[in-house]
Amino acid sequence: MTKDEELKSWIEQYSGPLLKKALYLLSNKEDAQDVVQEVFLAAYSGYDSFEMKSQPLTWLMAILNRKTADFYRKKYKSEPNIRLDHFFDETGSWKNNDILNDWNVSGEGDELLDNGDFNKTLEECIEELPSKWKILLKMYYIEEKKAPEVSQELNVSTTNLWKILQRSRMQLRECLEFNWFSRS
Amino acid sequence: MIRKILHILFLPCSEATLLMEKHNADTISAKEKRKLNIHLMICKWCRMYKQKLEVLDKVLAKTFSEQKTEINESEIQDFKNKMIDKLNF
Repeated sequence: MTKDEELKSWIEQYSGPLLKKALYLLSNKEDAQDVVQEVFLAAYSGYDSFEMKSQPLTWLMAILNRKTADFYRKKYKSEPNIRLDHFFDETGSWKNNDILNDWNVSGEGDELLDNGDFNKTLEECIEELPSKWKILLKMYYIEEKKAPEVSQELNVSTTNLWKILQRSRMQLRECLEFNWFSRS
Repeated sequence: MIRKILHILFLPCSEATLLMEKHNADTISAKEKRKLNIHLMICKWCRMYKQKLEVLDKVLAKTFSEQKTEINESEIQDFKNKMIDKLNF
């Protein structure tokens, strides 16, 4: 196959999985299409560096991760303003006692994961996070919590990475507290 | 009151919860770990938060590994057509 034919067959075969992954990461269809377009353009111009022994989709997914990080860096240039005063008073102590409510979860939450309603609530709570934090959180888990890699890729300082993770999880905890645990 | 003073002197909850993130990612230093452990001994709020964090970590890892997205076949087809046009095949 020529390079053009090969690329064409990749577009046919892999547009679906790439778009799904991009949409999952970015939560926006237009952004996802832009990023996947970038992936194919990069694959076209970097075709010679592709080693035929590896899987094309694996290679394209790796480009997608890089392009998503580029997109993120461009879109969220400013350093985040992360405030914790919703959760802590001026001495840095917890403001509310709802943290003390027992979740009654055994085995670190295995049965929660099998509960469709819980998963739905969790997704809604995740959706409420600002997209800058949401993308970072997803990338953090996709990269298996390798903090240095994530902070470098997204061009966020490690200090801010910790702060964003901390703040996001505080919010998720509170959201689940109100919308799930205090109800069930 | 004593609890509050201890918190401010050694480590406020707002910072202890940040150290929990580092601990979770295995990048916490020995000194930070010591500070966090002492804090956890005296603070039931943070002890409880840490338990909840472990649950949260587990459910997030699971939910992020399953990619649920909504994009339909015709949108994918439109994209393919545009892409092929763009590359001029």
